[in-house]
Amino acid sequence: MKKIIALFVACIIALSVALPAFAAEGKVTYSGNAGNFIFEPGSEHSPTDLFPNFKGVMPGDILTQKITVKNDLDNKVKVKIYLRSLGAQEDSVEFLSQLGLKVAKSSDNEMAYMFDAAANEKAQLTDWVCLGTLYSGGKVNLDVTLNVPVSLENEFQSKIGKLDWEFKIEEFPIESSDPQSPNTGDDFRLGLWIAVMLCSLSMIIILLVWRKRDKEKADQ
Amino acid sequence: MGKIKMKILVVALAATMMTFISTSTLAYYSTVGKATNVVTSGNIQFKIHEMTDQGKEFPKEGVYIVPGDVVSKKVSIESDCDHPFYLRVKMVYGIDAQELTAEDCFKLHIDEKHWKLRDGWYYYTDIVDPGETTPDVFSHVEIVGSEVDNSYIGKTLTLTVKAQAVQSENNPITDGNTYTASGWPKEADK
Repeated sequence: MKKIIALFVACIIALSVALPAFAAEGKVTYSGNAGNFIFEPGSEHSPTDLFPNFKGVMPGDILTQKITVKNDLDNKVKVKIYLRSLGAQEDSVEFLSQLGLKVAKSSDNEMAYMFDAAANEKAQLTDWVCLGTLYSGGKVNLDVTLNVPVSLENEFQSKIGKLDWEFKIEEFPIESSDPQSPNTGDDFRLGLWIAVMLCSLSMIIILLVWRKRDKEKADQ
Repeated sequence: MGKIKMKILVVALAATMMTFISTSTLAYYSTVGKATNVVTSGNIQFKIHEMTDQGKEFPKEGVYIVPGDVVSKKVSIESDCDHPFYLRVKMVYGIDAQELTAEDCFKLHIDEKHWKLRDGWYYYTDIVDPGETTPDVFSHVEIVGSEVDNSYIGKTLTLTVKAQAVQSENNPITDGNTYTASGWPKEADK
């Protein structure tokens, strides 16, 4: 029986180790709670890395990376989401200039790229490009394609190239003319309830302290 | 006194709640977030192993030899990277005296099943996958008695194994011949 359990545990561990290999998707989530974005999955080189598929690339590789941009706000507001490129970081220009990068919205089945240039450049993403208006739970998918030329020289082995992107959100109130977004039921305000809990707890503590003091005074 | 405290408490609690509620409704603004995306390039790396029949490393200081000796020296190559590659090796002979040559002093027992000679290089006939170690290029070195005469007494003969690799991904070959792969370094680069 112990062996069976050990085998089962080993399988679970193996599966849990294997899982990240399948989770090769970049995610940009705007929750609005802290006014910040959440970028996933990150990497050892950058906590906000959206390119898990572009690691250890080799000459001749043509790789794709799906990135999902999601509005995770409640359904009282809609957001317009924008993207722009800040280009390669200074020490990455030489390496990234060797590579080709294309970015397109998955919903646009036509091959209209919003970016098609060397990976170090800002090109068509120099200025903000609107990815769309997203209601609560709405998302837009980006397909990023990296083209590594077969002629890439040996000197570019083991290089690290960093490319900065910025996302911008503009929130707008929902208007009567807007389409009704489906109620997902996921409108639980965790932050608010934690705050209420902390307030209540502190009040109880204060009350207990007061009560103890009153009791001590009464005893005297 | 107790009633006053209770009133203060209720007001404070209400004020705190109002603060949180206000925070959650004053929302209509814009914000910017930056993602630093990273592209890394791979590499090809390997280790050359030189062992003896006893499974020990071949001594770096060398061994004393006499004509006719057969020295146990097993040479293999181990992948030390995450990418598969093609491989070739070359044996370079040397001696510490220019008037002598070491070229014919060695006879190698090459594994010709796995290593095919072409233009001075022995090409491994298969792909070396990540973590894999090749079969031995050769297992013994024979010191040719008829070539090593008295003029070689006290000399140091050297046998250097050079290896080169090129990626096999995105690198098709013709008729299974690994020497047809693209990207082998030119002779000047060796």
